[in-house]
Amino acid sequence: MADLSGWWDDYLWGAMTVLKVFGVSLILTVIFGLIGATAKLSKSRIAQKIAAAYTVAFRGTPELLVLLIFYFGSAITLTGITHIFFPETPFVDIPPFWAGSFAISLIVGSYATETFRGAFLGVDPGVVEASRALGISNVHTFFYVRIPQMWRLALPSFGNHMLSMMKDTALISIIGLEEILFVAEMATAVTYKPFLMYMIVALIYLSITTVITLVMMGLEKHANRHLEVAP
Amino acid sequence: MNFEFYLILESIPKMLAGLGMTMQLLFLSSFFGLSLAILLLLMRISGRWFLCFPAFMYIYFFRGTPILVQIFVIYHGLPQFEFIRESIFWSILREPFGCAVLALSLNSGAYVSEILRGGYLGVEKGLHEAGMALGLSKHHRFFYVTTPIAVRLAIPAYSNDFISMIKATSLASTITLLEMTGVARTIVAETFAPYEIFIAAAIIYLVIAWFFQRAFGLFERHMSRYIKQ
Amino acid sequence: MNDSKQEPIIILKDVCKSFGDFQALRNINLEVNKGQRIVVCGPSGSGKSTMIRCINRLEEHDSGKIIVSGRELTSEVKDIDAVRSEVGMVFQNFNLFPHLTVIKNLMLALKLVRKMKKSQAKKVAMGFLERVRIPEQADKYPIQLSGGQQQRVAIARALCMNPEVMLFDEPTSALDPEMISEVLDVMIDLVEDGLTMICVTHEMGFARSVADSIVFMDYGEIVEMKPPDEFFENPESDRTKLFLSQIISH
Repeated sequence: MADLSGWWDDYLWGAMTVLKVFGVSLILTVIFGLIGATAKLSKSRIAQKIAAAYTVAFRGTPELLVLLIFYFGSAITLTGITHIFFPETPFVDIPPFWAGSFAISLIVGSYATETFRGAFLGVDPGVVEASRALGISNVHTFFYVRIPQMWRLALPSFGNHMLSMMKDTALISIIGLEEILFVAEMATAVTYKPFLMYMIVALIYLSITTVITLVMMGLEKHANRHLEVAP
Repeated sequence: MNFEFYLILESIPKMLAGLGMTMQLLFLSSFFGLSLAILLLLMRISGRWFLCFPAFMYIYFFRGTPILVQIFVIYHGLPQFEFIRESIFWSILREPFGCAVLALSLNSGAYVSEILRGGYLGVEKGLHEAGMALGLSKHHRFFYVTTPIAVRLAIPAYSNDFISMIKATSLASTITLLEMTGVARTIVAETFAPYEIFIAAAIIYLVIAWFFQRAFGLFERHMSRYIKQ
Repeated sequence: MNDSKQEPIIILKDVCKSFGDFQALRNINLEVNKGQRIVVCGPSGSGKSTMIRCINRLEEHDSGKIIVSGRELTSEVKDIDAVRSEVGMVFQNFNLFPHLTVIKNLMLALKLVRKMKKSQAKKVAMGFLERVRIPEQADKYPIQLSGGQQQRVAIARALCMNPEVMLFDEPTSALDPEMISEVLDVMIDLVEDGLTMICVTHEMGFARSVADSIVFMDYGEIVEMKPPDEFFENPESDRTKLFLSQIISH
C-alpha cells in the first residue's frame, strides 16, 4: 500500500476531472432530452422524423464509436478549415473534455428523449387543460405544470441514465483526456502494480455511482411526498 | 470535403473480418454471461446469506463500475500476480481475446442476473400457490411453472442487454483486438477519413442491432402465444 | 331580474362541431345573459360537454360564431386568452395541480396571468378559500383532501380569476354521494351572490331549485330551453319527455 502514497492527490485530481465531465454532460443531456422529447411529441412530421433518427442512431451505435467519430471527425474538419486560412497549422482539435462531454450528452440524451417522452405522456391531460382554461399560456403551462409532473415520472429511469453517463466518462480517456485511467497508467509504469492501480479506479467509480444512487433514492422520496395520502 | 465511397468499399473485406471477431466476442460472452447469471440468480434467491451476500456484492461491483475499467483491470492488472502467470489459465488470460471475453462475461453475468431476477419476481404469487395446492414440489414448481413464465417476462430486458453487449464488444479494441471498431480505427489511422469509415462501422452495428431486435421480438411473440393480447 | 337591454354575455350562433364523422354539435344557438343560471342536461353523447368546452376553446368549433363579453372567439391566441380570462371552468375530475399545495394551486394563475405579487396573490387566494369554506386546507396537497374538498378548491381556483361566467362540466359526477351536497351548496351560494353560471349536470333537484333556464340537448341539438317549472311540468318535445321519464323514475 505504500506504493499509493504520493498518488492520492493525482487520483483525486483525476476524479475531479471525471466529475466535471459528468456535470457538463448532465446539463447537456437534460437539454438534448427535452428537445428530443418535445420534437417527438410535436405535430411537425419533420421534427418527429429527425428525433426518431436521432434516437435510433445514438442508441444503436457503440459509445466508443460515437466518441471517435466526434473527436476525430471534428478534428479533421477543423484542421481542414484552418488549413484554408493558415496552411502551416499541424492539427486542430476540440479539446477532448468538450468533444467527449458533448458526445456522451448526445448518447445519453437519446435515451433521455425516450424517457422524457414517456413521462410527458404520463402527465394527466386534464390538469394541462385546467391550466389552459385558467388562461395560463402554453409556455408557462409547459414550465410550471407539465415539467414539474413529468420529471417525477422520469426520475427512476433518469437515475439509470445518470449511472450510465457516469460510467461512459471512462471512455474519454481513449481520446486523450487526462483523468483517472491516465493516472492509473502512469502509476503502473512507476510501481509495476497495475491490478492495484486499476482497482483504485474501479473503486473510485464505485463510490461515485453509489453516491448517485443514494441521491436518486432521496430525490425520488422527495418528489413523491405530495403523493402520500394522509392516513 | 468529399465523401469517399470507394474508401468504404475497399475497407469492407477488412471490416467483415472485424465483424467475425465481434460475433465471436458477442456469442461467447453472452453464453458465459448467461450461465453465470443463472448461477448468481440461484444464489440470490436461495435465502442463505452466505450465498446471497457475495452474489449481491459481485453484482453491485460489476454494475457500478465502467466496463472499460473492468477490461483494464483484467488485461493490464492480472499479469501483476505470479500465481496467475503460473496457472493453467495463463494461456487464456495472456491473450487480449481471452481477457475481453472474461471481462464481458463477468459484466454481462451481473446485469443479466438482475434481469432474470426481475422476471422471477414478476411471476404472480397466485401461480406459485396454485402449484403448491397441486402438490408440486418446490423444485418442480421452479422448473415447470416459474421458469417458463420468468423467461418470457425477462425477454424484453434481456434483448436490450444483448444489444448493449453488441456495443460493448467495441471496447475490446482498446486492448488491441481487431474486432470491427479496432479495424475501423486502424483504417482511419492510415487514411485520415474518420467520417466515412466510422460511420460505415456504425451503420453495420445498427444493422446487426436491428436484426437481433427483430429476432427477439419474434421469440417473445412465440413465448407469448398463449397470452391474451 | 337582468337588464334586458344589455348584450348577452355569451352568444352561440349556428355553432357546429364534428369529431371526424361524428357530428357533436348541430347548429347550436344560445344566448346567456349576465346573472343567468343555465343548467344543461341530456343523455350521454348529446354534446353538452362539447358545447361548453367550445366556449373556452378547449374544443374548436368548426363553424358558426361564439362571442363572449362582446369578443368573438377565433383561433387567434389573443382572442382565446382574452376569452379564457373571462370564463372560468370547473371540471368533472377537478384537475387540480397535484404537485402544488391548495393555496399554490390558486395562486399560480394569479401570478402568471394576472401578474400579481406573491403576497397579494396569497391574500386573494385565501379570500376565495374562505368563500368555499375550506381555508384550513391551504397548505395541504390535493391528494390529502376528499373529493368534495378538491372540487371546492377547483371552484375557488376558477373564481380567483374573477371570471364573468363560470362553466361547470358535471361537477359532481365523480363524487361519492355524501360529498355532492357540499359542492352544490357552494354553487348555490355563488349564484345567490349573482354569479352567471352554465352548468352541465344530472342533478335534477339542483336544476329545479337553482336554474332559471334549463337547456335539454340530444344528438347535438338544443331541443328545448325553458324555465324549470315549465320544463319539468310541460315539456314540449317527445324526446324531452322520454329523457325525463328515464331520470325521474328513481
